[in-house]
Amino acid sequence: MRDDPSVVALVVRATAGDQLAWDEIVERYAPLVYAICTRYRLSSHDIEDVGQTVWLLLVEHLGKLREPAALPGWLATTTARECLRVVAAARRLELPRVGRDDSLRFVDDKAIDEEILMAERNASLRAGFAELPAPCQRLLSLLISDPPSSYASIHDALGIPVGSIGPQRGRCLDRLRRSKAFLALGEGETAGKVLGGKAGA
Amino acid sequence: MRDDRDDEESSAALRDDDELLAALREALRAREAVPNWFVDTGKNAYAWHNIDAELAQLTFDSYSDQRMLAVTRSETASIRTLTFTSAHMSMELEATEDSLLGQILPPRTGTLEIHTKGTIATTVVDEIGCFAVNPKPEGSFRLRCRTADGADVLTAWITL
Repeated sequence: MRDDPSVVALVVRATAGDQLAWDEIVERYAPLVYAICTRYRLSSHDIEDVGQTVWLLLVEHLGKLREPAALPGWLATTTARECLRVVAAARRLELPRVGRDDSLRFVDDKAIDEEILMAERNASLRAGFAELPAPCQRLLSLLISDPPSSYASIHDALGIPVGSIGPQRGRCLDRLRRSKAFLALGEGETAGKVLGGKAGA
Repeated sequence: MRDDRDDEESSAALRDDDELLAALREALRAREAVPNWFVDTGKNAYAWHNIDAELAQLTFDSYSDQRMLAVTRSETASIRTLTFTSAHMSMELEATEDSLLGQILPPRTGTLEIHTKGTIATTVVDEIGCFAVNPKPEGSFRLRCRTADGADVLTAWITL
């Protein structure tokens, strides 16, 4: 599964009936759909509703995606539209979920485009991280923990000499940069921009 | 090839170890922030892949029609009417406080499936195309209607 990080390949396989490819698509882009929902400040009930709608629309739309690389843009646009529908419905019912008229405007096209770019970058980094050997994953996990682990506690946890932690950190990050997923990142960002249409303005 | 400054900037930033580590932290957190149920909902949606039914789109919703709402809000706010349309069938729905009534057009007998998350209930469509769902479905659901003459129509998801 991880030997082919290409979105295009995943879409092709999912269209052909491969549930694992579909799961991978969902794993990769659920953060994008979720982040856009939270931008609209939806309740978790509404987020569930929007999420369900978006993925179901994608299931029906899979074979019709003219450009599979356009998937992140399609997901972002569809999610934003569904969020707006929920927000608008809530307002018509005069529920106190959304108060003021300008509440819709804080999610503009630019914000959506940023979410797409960020989602592509994050997905590539996560996929690259997953490609790393286990010792690198463990070390990097400790280094990015919150609060950050001291070199002494990393030594206690992993048995790496304190003096070797710095060089190993560098080597692991280099491996991350050379991972297939990370190398594909540049293409992904470009694709996201083309899709979003309005980015870079 | 396009020269894209943003791409260059972000790639350049990730050449720095600290920047890359910070970006990785953000990427993993973004995934952790997503609840598992949200991801599961997405994975489960694949069950609808290649369903051999014609999809009916929502073409009217009394809640979405502001003019109608303005006129009728005071009297009939508790009744919502919806119409789903596909090439071979349209489906009129009327949701009251506790029940869901419907009719398919053109009228004919058939079977109606009520799909909610994880459950499927069935009811009869009578000779004038009418059906009743009691009590009305909670949460998101969709209706699939199969008629004796071979029509098989599935609505988009609905939440009343």
